[in-house]
Amino acid sequence: MARMTLSGIKKSFKSVDVLHGIDLEISDREFVVFVGPSGCGKSTLLRLIAGLDTISSGEFHIDDRRMNEVAPSRRGIAMVFQSYALYPHMDVYENMAFGARLMGLEKDEVEKRIDEASRMLRLDPLLKRKPRELSGGQRQRVAIGRALVRKPKVLLLDEPLSNLDAALRSDVRLEIARLHREIGGTTIYVTHDQVEAMTLADRIVVMNNGKVEQFGSPRELYERPANTFVATFIGSPRMSLLNVERDGSNLALAGSGSVNVSRLPQSGERELVIGVRPDAMAVSTDENAKGFKGSVVYTEYLGENTYVYVRLGDGTLVGIRSSASVDLPPDTPVVIAVASEEIHYFSRATRERLAA
Amino acid sequence: MARRLWITALIVPPLAFVALFVVYPIISAFAYAFFQWHGLARGEFVGFANFYRVLFTQPYADWTVNAFTHNVLVFFALMVLQNGVGFLLAYCLWRELPGAAFHRIAVFLPVVLSTIIVGFLWKLFLHPLFGVVNISLRGTGLGGLAQPWLGQDTTALWALIIANAWHMVGFPTLVFLAGMQRIPGEILDAVRMETESEWVKISKVVWPLVAPSATVVFTLLFVGSFNWFELPYIMAGVDGSPHKATDVLGLYFYRTAFGDQSGSGQDFGAGSALAVLIFLFIAIVAGFITFRLRAREIQI
Repeated sequence: MARMTLSGIKKSFKSVDVLHGIDLEISDREFVVFVGPSGCGKSTLLRLIAGLDTISSGEFHIDDRRMNEVAPSRRGIAMVFQSYALYPHMDVYENMAFGARLMGLEKDEVEKRIDEASRMLRLDPLLKRKPRELSGGQRQRVAIGRALVRKPKVLLLDEPLSNLDAALRSDVRLEIARLHREIGGTTIYVTHDQVEAMTLADRIVVMNNGKVEQFGSPRELYERPANTFVATFIGSPRMSLLNVERDGSNLALAGSGSVNVSRLPQSGERELVIGVRPDAMAVSTDENAKGFKGSVVYTEYLGENTYVYVRLGDGTLVGIRSSASVDLPPDTPVVIAVASEEIHYFSRATRERLAA
Repeated sequence: MARRLWITALIVPPLAFVALFVVYPIISAFAYAFFQWHGLARGEFVGFANFYRVLFTQPYADWTVNAFTHNVLVFFALMVLQNGVGFLLAYCLWRELPGAAFHRIAVFLPVVLSTIIVGFLWKLFLHPLFGVVNISLRGTGLGGLAQPWLGQDTTALWALIIANAWHMVGFPTLVFLAGMQRIPGEILDAVRMETESEWVKISKVVWPLVAPSATVVFTLLFVGSFNWFELPYIMAGVDGSPHKATDVLGLYFYRTAFGDQSGSGQDFGAGSALAVLIFLFIAIVAGFITFRLRAREIQI
């Protein structure tokens, strides 16, 4: 069992506030991903959970036990570091045995756990090697193995894929997902890559500027982003945001005309931001078509699709997914149709989601 | 072509300097050791007689053993008091204990002082009547412990060892600190996830990873201990007083070759033989230490 509760967690380094009050409730056996741009505080939060840095204020509990003052080695937590941080002077076996012995386990138990971990991670042929004789992917597996032999209640992974090449990355990602299911503990995973976050997580914590922007399942984040930050952070290519004004059942965009929509936010605000994903728009060269007018800036041919980037009348650049056959030269005048069922509405003032 | 001339011009002067003032004296000392000497006038070739004399005939044999034993003691004592303390200081500085910025400089400051200054300074500190050591002891009610530190057999050598440790402790500290700073922060974090014990961190992770620095520090301490001369010369005099209680190979060789306090007993042949023996001993053992420790170094 490892249920974690963070309430009002703040962290400052001297006079700089890095985290401004984080509240999270993480359930047992959950796979949670912290995602956000660099400097958003996600790694700092992970280090606070690990106990490597002290919490400035707020409370952190694991299973109702207050952890603020508990030493990192006594929290029942193991961590996999970005650089793997293997002990260079110990071979693979010793790297894994070191922590297990320090827990005061019997010799047989240590051996049993290393056997188990090395079978799970296919480390058997590597046990006598030193870290410098291993490839990046192998080091990664040893680092995970070292964490697993301690049988932690909580496993922390800090950007574990960032030092691997692209081909290996998706393999290791699958591996991590499988391990999480097999060992049945709680996992917290930090990354700046939203694809990793979407594919691995039960729930994602989107962070920005030391605050949690949204905490929810990948589907919730994609389908119902809480604000414009989450809307543009999740999804690739990113969602386009347009500043529009409501005029009856029309939405008007400066310099690009207006479109009629079937669905509008319940609140009566006039000034809105609408978010539209690349696949919720269509490009047309027919001047009389309904939609926002603009002109093509460039197109990206990706094989199965072509992305068309269009500059609208107010200067906003939007990306639209089109069929691969579309090939429009720059400066072609086009009309962008918007699927009104798929528009996300946000308040212009607060950037928060408006219910439609 | 111009480049070659330029390189030649840069290399030749230092090479000539080293050849003239380092290589030539070493080789000539080798040669001198095989001749009989009358003052500074060379006598006939005597083969290994000088070596035999300093090693196996009295009173030389006793003096040699006495001085050599002292050097061995100095080496092991400094290994603990200078390198051991240096390692602990480096660890404290590395962990940024309060005041680390000040102490980083304070610890290294004595190293830049000349040995002459340090020698005289410590002679003053240890003066039986006016020295700060005895005055402090008396002032704190420990007057019973006050004694003539440099004037009695039992304490004189240890007083020199402590003065030397005080002088040079900044050097191993600096080297160990540099070694520690090469250890990636995440490795230290990884240890912290597995244990709270400082002792485990130091003995199982930090120490093995600074081993490359240890090679340099151990070798230099070994060479320094067996070449030890300036500090005992200044603080104890060329005779290794009192009663040769502070006699070391450096003083002994100097006295034998150039004469003692009273200028008597000068024997260039025996002195050269000693110099050659000291040189060979240091070269062979230092080479062995370096070779053995290098093999155990770890790539981070």
